[in-house]
Amino acid sequence: MELLNRYLHAVKFWLPKSQQEDIIAELGEDLRSQIEDREAALGRPLDEDGLAAVLKQRGNPMLVAGSYLPQRSLIGPALFPIYQFILKLVIVWILPPIFILVVGPATVLSGRDPSLALAETAWTLLMAAVFAFGVITLVFAAMERYPHESMLKWDPCRLPRVPPAEPITQPQPVPGYRAIAELLAAIGASLLWIEVMWLRTSFDFNGVAITLAPVWRSFFWPILLVTLSGVPIGLMGWLRPWWMRARSCVRLAVDGVTLVLTGALVNMGPWVRVAAPNLPAAGVADANHWANVGTSIGLGVVAIITLVDAVQEARRLVRQKPAGNHAPVAVRR
Amino acid sequence: MSHTASSPDPFDNLRLELRRGCLVLAVLAQLRAEHYGYALRKALADRGMAIDENTLYPLLRRLETQGLLVSEWREEEKRNKRFYRLSSHGQGVLDQLLEEWQSINASLTRIAEGDALWELKAES
Repeated sequence: MELLNRYLHAVKFWLPKSQQEDIIAELGEDLRSQIEDREAALGRPLDEDGLAAVLKQRGNPMLVAGSYLPQRSLIGPALFPIYQFILKLVIVWILPPIFILVVGPATVLSGRDPSLALAETAWTLLMAAVFAFGVITLVFAAMERYPHESMLKWDPCRLPRVPPAEPITQPQPVPGYRAIAELLAAIGASLLWIEVMWLRTSFDFNGVAITLAPVWRSFFWPILLVTLSGVPIGLMGWLRPWWMRARSCVRLAVDGVTLVLTGALVNMGPWVRVAAPNLPAAGVADANHWANVGTSIGLGVVAIITLVDAVQEARRLVRQKPAGNHAPVAVRR
Repeated sequence: MSHTASSPDPFDNLRLELRRGCLVLAVLAQLRAEHYGYALRKALADRGMAIDENTLYPLLRRLETQGLLVSEWREEEKRNKRFYRLSSHGQGVLDQLLEEWQSINASLTRIAEGDALWELKAES
Protein backbone atom coordinates (compact mmCIF):
# COMPACT_ATOMS: atom_id res chain seq x y z
CA MET A 1 0.00 0.00 0.00
CA GLU A 2 3.02 2.27 -0.17
CA LEU A 3 1.95 3.37 -3.64
CA LEU A 4 -1.50 4.32 -2.30
CA ASN A 5 0.05 6.40 0.48
CA ARG A 6 2.28 8.16 -2.01
CA TYR A 7 -0.76 8.91 -4.18
CA LEU A 8 -2.75 10.28 -1.23
CA HIS A 9 0.20 12.40 -0.18
CA ALA A 10 0.46 13.82 -3.69
CA VAL A 11 -3.25 14.72 -3.70
CA LYS A 12 -2.97 16.24 -0.23
CA PHE A 13 -0.28 18.64 -1.41
CA TRP A 14 -2.78 20.45 -3.69
CA LEU A 15 -5.65 20.66 -1.19
CA PRO A 16 -6.41 23.61 1.12
CA LYS A 17 -5.02 22.90 4.61
CA SER A 18 -8.41 23.13 6.34
CA GLN A 19 -9.84 20.27 4.25
CA GLN A 20 -6.77 18.09 3.70
CA GLU A 21 -7.32 15.47 6.42
CA ASP A 22 -11.03 15.06 5.76
CA ILE A 23 -10.74 14.72 1.99
CA ILE A 24 -7.73 12.41 2.14
CA ALA A 25 -9.45 10.13 4.68
CA GLU A 26 -12.49 9.79 2.45
CA LEU A 27 -10.48 9.41 -0.76
CA GLY A 28 -8.27 6.79 0.89
CA GLU A 29 -11.32 4.88 2.10
CA ASP A 30 -12.87 4.95 -1.36
CA LEU A 31 -9.68 3.70 -3.00
CA ARG A 32 -9.27 0.93 -0.40
CA SER A 33 -12.86 -0.20 -1.03
CA GLN A 34 -12.19 -0.22 -4.76
CA ILE A 35 -8.97 -2.20 -4.29
CA GLU A 36 -10.77 -4.71 -2.07
CA ASP A 37 -13.45 -5.19 -4.71
CA ARG A 38 -10.81 -5.81 -7.37
CA GLU A 39 -8.98 -8.27 -5.15
CA ALA A 40 -12.23 -10.11 -4.42
CA ALA A 41 -12.95 -10.34 -8.15
CA LEU A 42 -9.43 -11.63 -8.90
CA GLY A 43 -9.24 -13.91 -5.87
CA ARG A 44 -5.76 -12.65 -4.96
CA PRO A 45 -4.12 -9.48 -3.63
CA LEU A 46 -3.42 -6.76 -6.17
CA ASP A 47 0.21 -6.51 -7.24
CA GLU A 48 1.91 -3.18 -7.77
CA ASP A 49 0.86 -2.97 -11.41
CA GLY A 50 -2.77 -3.62 -10.50
CA LEU A 51 -2.62 -0.96 -7.80
CA ALA A 52 -0.99 1.47 -10.21
CA ALA A 53 -3.82 0.82 -12.69
CA VAL A 54 -6.45 1.69 -10.05
CA LEU A 55 -4.64 4.92 -9.16
CA LYS A 56 -4.10 5.82 -12.80
CA GLN A 57 -7.79 5.35 -13.42
CA ARG A 58 -8.58 7.74 -10.55
CA GLY A 59 -6.54 10.45 -12.23
CA ASN A 60 -3.61 12.82 -11.87
CA PRO A 61 -3.30 13.86 -8.18
CA MET A 62 -3.33 17.53 -9.09
CA LEU A 63 -6.54 17.18 -11.13
CA VAL A 64 -8.21 15.03 -8.48
CA ALA A 65 -7.44 17.68 -5.85
CA GLY A 66 -8.63 20.38 -8.26
CA SER A 67 -12.04 18.74 -8.53
CA TYR A 68 -12.60 19.45 -4.81
CA LEU A 69 -11.83 23.14 -5.20
CA PRO A 70 -14.38 25.75 -6.27
CA GLN A 71 -14.39 26.38 -10.01
CA ARG A 72 -12.69 29.69 -10.73
CA SER A 73 -11.83 31.56 -13.87
CA LEU A 74 -9.72 34.63 -14.34
CA ILE A 75 -12.11 36.00 -16.95
CA GLY A 76 -15.59 34.52 -17.02
CA PRO A 77 -17.71 33.67 -20.07
CA ALA A 78 -19.66 36.95 -19.84
CA LEU A 79 -16.60 39.17 -20.23
CA PHE A 80 -14.53 36.83 -22.38
CA PRO A 81 -15.89 37.94 -25.82
CA ILE A 82 -15.12 41.62 -25.03
CA TYR A 83 -11.71 40.64 -23.66
CA GLN A 84 -10.95 38.67 -26.83
CA PHE A 85 -12.14 41.59 -29.01
CA ILE A 86 -9.96 44.17 -27.22
CA LEU A 87 -6.96 41.84 -27.24
CA LYS A 88 -7.32 41.22 -30.99
CA LEU A 89 -7.84 44.94 -31.66
CA VAL A 90 -4.67 45.97 -29.83
CA ILE A 91 -2.34 43.08 -30.67
CA VAL A 92 -3.35 42.49 -34.29
CA TRP A 93 -4.79 45.77 -35.60
CA ILE A 94 -3.07 48.54 -33.62
CA LEU A 95 0.45 47.49 -32.56
CA PRO A 96 1.78 45.86 -35.79
CA PRO A 97 0.75 48.74 -38.11
CA ILE A 98 2.32 51.29 -35.72
CA PHE A 99 5.55 49.30 -35.60
CA ILE A 100 5.67 48.54 -39.32
CA LEU A 101 4.76 52.02 -40.53
CA VAL A 102 6.20 54.30 -37.83
CA VAL A 103 8.58 52.72 -35.31
CA GLY A 104 10.35 50.39 -37.78
CA PRO A 105 11.18 53.01 -40.46
CA ALA A 106 12.19 55.51 -37.75
CA THR A 107 14.60 52.98 -36.20
CA VAL A 108 16.04 51.98 -39.58
CA LEU A 109 16.57 55.61 -40.58
CA SER A 110 18.17 56.48 -37.24
CA GLY A 111 21.46 55.51 -38.85
CA ARG A 112 22.14 52.22 -37.04
CA ASP A 113 22.92 48.92 -38.72
CA PRO A 114 19.64 48.16 -40.61
CA SER A 115 19.56 44.47 -39.64
CA LEU A 116 20.07 45.34 -35.96
CA ALA A 117 17.44 48.07 -36.21
CA LEU A 118 14.92 45.62 -37.72
CA ALA A 119 15.68 42.99 -35.08
CA GLU A 120 15.30 45.62 -32.36
CA THR A 121 11.95 46.74 -33.81
CA ALA A 122 10.69 43.14 -33.94
CA TRP A 123 11.80 42.55 -30.34
CA THR A 124 10.17 45.77 -29.13
CA LEU A 125 6.97 44.81 -30.96
CA LEU A 126 6.99 41.44 -29.22
CA MET A 127 7.58 43.05 -25.82
CA ALA A 128 4.83 45.62 -26.46
CA ALA A 129 2.42 42.81 -27.40
CA VAL A 130 3.29 40.85 -24.24
CA PHE A 131 2.89 43.98 -22.12
CA ALA A 132 -0.46 44.83 -23.74
CA PHE A 133 -1.62 41.25 -23.22
CA GLY A 134 -0.69 41.43 -19.54
CA VAL A 135 -2.31 44.81 -18.91
CA ILE A 136 -5.54 43.94 -20.77
CA THR A 137 -5.79 40.61 -18.94
CA LEU A 138 -5.25 42.31 -15.57
CA VAL A 139 -7.88 44.97 -16.30
CA PHE A 140 -10.44 42.33 -17.32
CA ALA A 141 -9.58 40.12 -14.35
CA ALA A 142 -10.24 43.13 -12.10
CA MET A 143 -13.53 43.80 -13.93
CA GLU A 144 -14.49 40.16 -13.41
CA ARG A 145 -13.74 40.33 -9.70
CA TYR A 146 -15.27 43.76 -9.08
CA PRO A 147 -18.00 44.21 -11.71
CA HIS A 148 -18.86 47.86 -12.25
CA GLU A 149 -22.49 48.80 -11.90
CA SER A 150 -22.49 50.17 -15.45
CA MET A 151 -22.29 46.55 -16.61
CA LEU A 152 -25.66 45.89 -15.01
CA LYS A 153 -27.34 49.27 -15.57
CA TRP A 154 -27.79 49.91 -19.24
CA ASP A 155 -30.34 51.59 -21.43
CA PRO A 156 -31.49 49.86 -24.65
CA CYS A 157 -32.24 53.30 -26.13
CA ARG A 158 -28.55 54.20 -25.93
CA LEU A 159 -27.40 51.28 -28.05
CA PRO A 160 -25.57 52.39 -31.24
CA ARG A 161 -27.50 52.53 -34.50
CA VAL A 162 -27.22 49.57 -36.87
CA PRO A 163 -24.87 50.56 -39.71
CA PRO A 164 -26.38 50.38 -43.21
CA ALA A 165 -26.04 46.94 -44.74
CA GLU A 166 -22.95 46.62 -46.89
CA PRO A 167 -23.10 44.59 -50.08
CA ILE A 168 -21.40 41.23 -49.69
CA THR A 169 -18.00 41.60 -51.27
CA GLN A 170 -16.77 38.36 -52.72
CA PRO A 171 -13.30 38.38 -54.29
CA GLN A 172 -13.74 39.34 -57.91
CA PRO A 173 -11.81 37.86 -60.85
CA VAL A 174 -9.00 40.06 -62.12
CA PRO A 175 -10.26 42.54 -64.75
CA GLY A 176 -8.77 41.85 -68.19
CA TYR A 177 -7.19 45.31 -68.58
CA ARG A 178 -5.42 44.89 -65.24
CA ALA A 179 -4.05 41.49 -66.18
CA ILE A 180 -2.72 42.82 -69.48
CA ALA A 181 -1.23 45.88 -67.74
CA GLU A 182 0.43 43.54 -65.26
CA LEU A 183 1.86 41.46 -68.10
CA LEU A 184 3.21 44.50 -69.95
CA ALA A 185 4.61 46.01 -66.75
CA ALA A 186 6.41 42.77 -65.98
CA ILE A 187 7.99 42.67 -69.45
CA GLY A 188 8.92 46.37 -69.24
CA ALA A 189 10.39 46.04 -65.75
CA SER A 190 12.41 42.98 -66.77
CA LEU A 191 13.84 44.73 -69.84
CA LEU A 192 14.64 47.82 -67.78
CA TRP A 193 16.33 45.67 -65.16
CA ILE A 194 18.49 43.96 -67.81
CA GLU A 195 19.36 47.32 -69.37
CA VAL A 196 20.15 49.11 -66.10
CA MET A 197 21.75 46.35 -64.08
CA TRP A 198 23.56 44.33 -66.73
CA LEU A 199 24.24 46.31 -69.86
CA ARG A 200 25.13 49.56 -68.10
CA THR A 201 25.68 50.14 -64.41
CA SER A 202 26.96 53.70 -64.53
CA PHE A 203 25.02 56.84 -65.42
CA ASP A 204 26.41 60.25 -66.21
CA PHE A 205 24.43 63.43 -65.47
CA ASN A 206 26.33 66.54 -66.60
CA GLY A 207 29.62 65.46 -65.09
CA VAL A 208 28.11 63.69 -62.08
CA ALA A 209 28.59 59.90 -62.41
CA ILE A 210 26.32 57.60 -60.45
CA THR A 211 27.63 54.05 -60.37
CA LEU A 212 25.71 51.09 -59.00
CA ALA A 213 27.54 49.03 -56.41
CA PRO A 214 28.52 45.43 -57.36
CA VAL A 215 25.93 44.14 -54.87
CA TRP A 216 23.22 44.70 -57.50
CA ARG A 217 25.02 42.31 -59.87
CA SER A 218 24.92 39.54 -57.28
CA PHE A 219 21.16 40.00 -57.00
CA PHE A 220 20.64 40.29 -60.76
CA TRP A 221 19.15 36.86 -61.43
CA PRO A 222 16.85 36.57 -58.39
CA ILE A 223 15.43 40.04 -59.02
CA LEU A 224 15.02 39.30 -62.73
CA LEU A 225 13.04 36.19 -61.79
CA VAL A 226 10.80 38.28 -59.52
CA THR A 227 10.11 40.83 -62.26
CA LEU A 228 9.54 38.05 -64.82
CA SER A 229 7.09 36.32 -62.45
CA GLY A 230 4.64 39.07 -63.41
CA VAL A 231 4.45 37.49 -66.91
CA PRO A 232 2.82 34.16 -65.90
CA ILE A 233 0.74 35.98 -63.25
CA GLY A 234 -0.52 38.44 -65.88
CA LEU A 235 -1.19 35.63 -68.37
CA MET A 236 -3.06 33.68 -65.69
CA GLY A 237 -5.18 36.72 -64.86
CA TRP A 238 -5.90 37.33 -68.55
CA LEU A 239 -6.56 33.79 -69.78
CA ARG A 240 -7.85 32.12 -66.56
CA PRO A 241 -9.32 34.94 -64.45
CA TRP A 242 -11.22 32.52 -62.23
CA TRP A 243 -8.00 30.89 -61.01
CA MET A 244 -8.03 33.31 -58.12
CA ARG A 245 -6.63 30.99 -55.46
CA ALA A 246 -3.73 29.92 -57.65
CA ARG A 247 -3.03 33.57 -58.49
CA SER A 248 -3.09 34.59 -54.83
CA CYS A 249 -0.77 31.70 -53.91
CA VAL A 250 1.76 32.64 -56.61
CA ARG A 251 1.62 36.32 -55.68
CA LEU A 252 2.10 35.48 -52.01
CA ALA A 253 5.15 33.37 -52.88
CA VAL A 254 6.58 36.17 -55.06
CA ASP A 255 5.91 38.69 -52.27
CA GLY A 256 7.75 36.42 -49.85
CA VAL A 257 10.78 36.18 -52.14
CA THR A 258 10.70 39.96 -52.71
CA LEU A 259 10.67 40.62 -48.98
CA VAL A 260 13.63 38.29 -48.45
CA LEU A 261 15.58 39.93 -51.29
CA THR A 262 14.76 43.43 -50.02
CA GLY A 263 15.80 42.44 -46.50
CA ALA A 264 19.11 41.08 -47.81
CA LEU A 265 19.71 44.18 -49.97
CA VAL A 266 19.01 46.54 -47.05
CA ASN A 267 21.92 44.95 -45.21
CA MET A 268 24.36 45.31 -48.09
CA GLY A 269 24.70 49.06 -48.61
CA PRO A 270 26.18 51.32 -49.87
CA TRP A 271 24.24 50.75 -53.06
CA VAL A 272 25.48 53.62 -55.22
CA ARG A 273 28.63 55.67 -55.60
CA VAL A 274 28.55 59.27 -56.73
CA ALA A 275 31.63 60.71 -58.40
CA ALA A 276 31.94 64.32 -59.55
CA PRO A 277 35.51 65.54 -60.36
CA ASN A 278 34.28 69.12 -60.71
CA LEU A 279 32.65 69.32 -57.28
CA PRO A 280 34.36 69.85 -53.89
CA ALA A 281 35.04 66.66 -51.89
CA ALA A 282 32.57 67.60 -49.10
CA GLY A 283 29.79 68.06 -51.64
CA VAL A 284 30.51 64.68 -53.20
CA ALA A 285 30.49 63.01 -49.77
CA ASP A 286 27.09 64.64 -49.05
CA ALA A 287 25.79 63.48 -52.44
CA ASN A 288 26.99 59.95 -51.72
CA HIS A 289 25.31 60.00 -48.29
CA TRP A 290 21.97 61.26 -49.56
CA ALA A 291 21.94 58.98 -52.60
CA ASN A 292 22.34 55.98 -50.31
CA VAL A 293 19.77 57.29 -47.78
CA GLY A 294 17.37 57.71 -50.72
CA THR A 295 18.05 54.16 -51.89
CA SER A 296 17.49 52.77 -48.39
CA ILE A 297 14.17 54.67 -48.16
CA GLY A 298 13.27 53.29 -51.60
CA LEU A 299 13.99 49.76 -50.42
CA GLY A 300 11.87 50.39 -47.30
CA VAL A 301 8.99 51.62 -49.47
CA VAL A 302 9.29 48.50 -51.67
CA ALA A 303 9.19 46.33 -48.54
CA ILE A 304 6.07 48.11 -47.20
CA ILE A 305 4.26 47.92 -50.56
CA THR A 306 5.16 44.22 -50.85
CA LEU A 307 3.97 43.59 -47.31
CA VAL A 308 0.65 45.35 -47.95
CA ASP A 309 0.20 43.33 -51.16
CA ALA A 310 1.00 40.11 -49.28
CA VAL A 311 -1.59 40.94 -46.61
CA GLN A 312 -4.19 41.69 -49.31
CA GLU A 313 -3.45 38.42 -51.12
CA ALA A 314 -3.58 36.48 -47.85
CA ARG A 315 -6.97 38.05 -47.08
CA ARG A 316 -8.21 37.18 -50.58
CA LEU A 317 -6.99 33.64 -50.11
CA VAL A 318 -8.84 33.32 -46.80
CA ARG A 319 -12.05 34.76 -48.28
CA GLN A 320 -12.00 32.39 -51.24
CA LYS A 321 -13.43 28.93 -50.76
CA PRO A 322 -10.96 26.08 -51.40
CA ALA A 323 -12.88 25.00 -54.51
CA GLY A 324 -12.73 28.54 -55.91
CA ASN A 325 -10.81 27.70 -59.07
CA HIS A 326 -13.93 26.75 -61.03
CA ALA A 327 -15.11 28.94 -63.86
CA PRO A 328 -18.03 31.05 -62.59
CA VAL A 329 -21.35 31.13 -64.43
CA ALA A 330 -20.56 34.48 -66.03
CA VAL A 331 -16.95 35.44 -66.40
CA ARG A 332 -15.66 38.51 -68.09
CA ARG A 333 -13.08 37.74 -70.73
CA MET B 1 -21.88 18.81 -40.84
CA SER B 2 -19.10 16.44 -39.88
CA HIS B 3 -16.83 16.85 -36.89
CA THR B 4 -13.11 16.23 -36.91
CA ALA B 5 -11.19 13.94 -34.60
CA SER B 6 -9.86 16.95 -32.70
CA SER B 7 -13.33 18.34 -31.92
CA PRO B 8 -15.36 16.19 -29.54
CA ASP B 9 -18.64 14.69 -30.65
CA PRO B 10 -21.33 17.30 -29.85
CA PHE B 11 -23.53 14.48 -28.55
CA ASP B 12 -21.01 13.71 -25.79
CA ASN B 13 -20.91 17.32 -24.63
CA LEU B 14 -24.68 17.72 -24.71
CA ARG B 15 -25.14 14.41 -22.93
CA LEU B 16 -22.77 15.55 -20.18
CA GLU B 17 -24.70 18.79 -19.78
CA LEU B 18 -27.99 16.91 -19.66
CA ARG B 19 -26.72 14.46 -17.07
CA ARG B 20 -25.16 17.10 -14.80
CA GLY B 21 -28.44 18.27 -13.28
CA CYS B 22 -29.90 14.76 -13.21
CA LEU B 23 -26.92 13.48 -11.21
CA VAL B 24 -27.70 15.86 -8.33
CA LEU B 25 -31.26 14.60 -8.32
CA ALA B 26 -30.13 10.96 -8.41
CA VAL B 27 -27.65 11.47 -5.55
CA LEU B 28 -30.21 13.26 -3.37
CA ALA B 29 -32.85 10.60 -4.07
CA GLN B 30 -30.45 7.73 -3.38
CA LEU B 31 -29.41 9.31 -0.09
CA ARG B 32 -32.89 9.05 1.35
CA ALA B 33 -31.22 5.91 2.70
CA GLU B 34 -27.80 6.27 4.34
CA HIS B 35 -24.76 5.33 2.23
CA TYR B 36 -21.02 5.83 2.37
CA GLY B 37 -19.34 7.15 -0.77
CA TYR B 38 -18.21 3.92 -2.40
CA ALA B 39 -21.53 2.14 -1.69
CA LEU B 40 -23.45 5.13 -3.05
CA ARG B 41 -21.45 5.06 -6.25
CA LYS B 42 -22.12 1.36 -6.71
CA ALA B 43 -25.81 1.78 -5.94
CA LEU B 44 -26.11 4.53 -8.54
CA ALA B 45 -24.16 2.51 -11.11
CA ASP B 46 -26.39 -0.54 -10.48
CA ARG B 47 -29.40 1.64 -11.28
CA GLY B 48 -27.87 2.90 -14.54
CA MET B 49 -26.59 6.21 -13.19
CA ALA B 50 -22.82 5.66 -13.17
CA ILE B 51 -20.91 8.64 -11.79
CA ASP B 52 -17.21 9.38 -11.82
CA GLU B 53 -15.56 9.37 -8.37
CA ASN B 54 -13.98 12.74 -8.98
CA THR B 55 -17.44 14.16 -9.64
CA LEU B 56 -19.29 12.37 -6.83
CA TYR B 57 -17.15 13.29 -3.82
CA PRO B 58 -16.87 17.02 -4.57
CA LEU B 59 -20.63 17.00 -5.27
CA LEU B 60 -21.35 15.36 -1.90
CA ARG B 61 -19.26 18.03 -0.17
CA ARG B 62 -21.05 20.82 -2.00
CA LEU B 63 -24.47 19.43 -1.14
CA GLU B 64 -23.43 19.06 2.48
CA THR B 65 -22.18 22.65 2.58
CA GLN B 66 -25.56 23.73 1.21
CA GLY B 67 -27.23 21.88 4.09
CA LEU B 68 -28.94 19.30 1.87
CA LEU B 69 -26.93 16.36 3.25
CA VAL B 70 -25.55 15.42 6.64
CA SER B 71 -22.60 13.13 7.16
CA GLU B 72 -20.82 11.33 9.96
CA TRP B 73 -17.67 9.23 10.27
CA ARG B 74 -18.43 5.79 11.64
CA GLU B 75 -16.59 2.51 11.88
CA GLU B 76 -17.88 -0.32 9.74
CA GLU B 77 -16.08 -3.58 9.00
CA LYS B 78 -13.13 -2.28 11.05
CA ARG B 79 -12.74 0.76 8.81
CA ASN B 80 -13.73 4.36 9.26
CA LYS B 81 -16.25 5.41 6.64
CA ARG B 82 -18.14 8.59 6.05
CA PHE B 83 -21.88 8.03 5.82
CA TYR B 84 -24.14 10.50 4.07
CA ARG B 85 -27.90 10.91 4.24
CA LEU B 86 -30.46 13.49 3.21
CA SER B 87 -31.13 16.24 5.77
CA SER B 88 -34.68 17.39 6.49
CA HIS B 89 -33.99 20.51 4.44
CA GLY B 90 -32.60 18.26 1.68
CA GLN B 91 -35.80 16.19 1.75
CA GLY B 92 -37.87 19.32 1.10
CA VAL B 93 -35.58 20.42 -1.73
CA LEU B 94 -35.61 16.91 -3.23
CA ASP B 95 -39.43 16.90 -3.27
CA GLN B 96 -39.43 20.25 -5.06
CA LEU B 97 -36.77 19.12 -7.50
CA LEU B 98 -38.60 15.88 -8.30
CA GLU B 99 -41.77 17.84 -8.97
CA GLU B 100 -39.83 20.20 -11.23
CA TRP B 101 -38.14 17.31 -13.01
CA GLN B 102 -41.50 15.63 -13.65
CA SER B 103 -42.88 18.86 -15.05
CA ILE B 104 -39.83 19.28 -17.31
CA ASN B 105 -40.06 15.65 -18.36
CA ALA B 106 -43.73 16.02 -19.26
CA SER B 107 -43.07 19.20 -21.24
CA LEU B 108 -40.14 17.65 -23.06
CA THR B 109 -42.10 14.54 -23.95
CA ARG B 110 -44.86 16.76 -25.27
CA ILE B 111 -42.44 18.81 -27.34
CA ALA B 112 -40.49 15.80 -28.61
CA GLU B 113 -43.51 13.73 -29.57
CA GLY B 114 -45.69 16.54 -30.87
CA ASP B 115 -48.85 17.99 -29.33
CA ALA B 116 -51.29 15.81 -31.26
CA LEU B 117 -49.71 12.55 -30.15
CA TRP B 118 -49.60 13.83 -26.59
CA GLU B 119 -53.31 14.66 -26.60
CA LEU B 120 -54.07 11.23 -28.05
CA LYS B 121 -52.08 9.61 -25.24
CA ALA B 122 -53.73 11.79 -22.60
CA GLU B 123 -57.18 10.83 -23.88
CA SER B 124 -56.40 7.10 -23.85
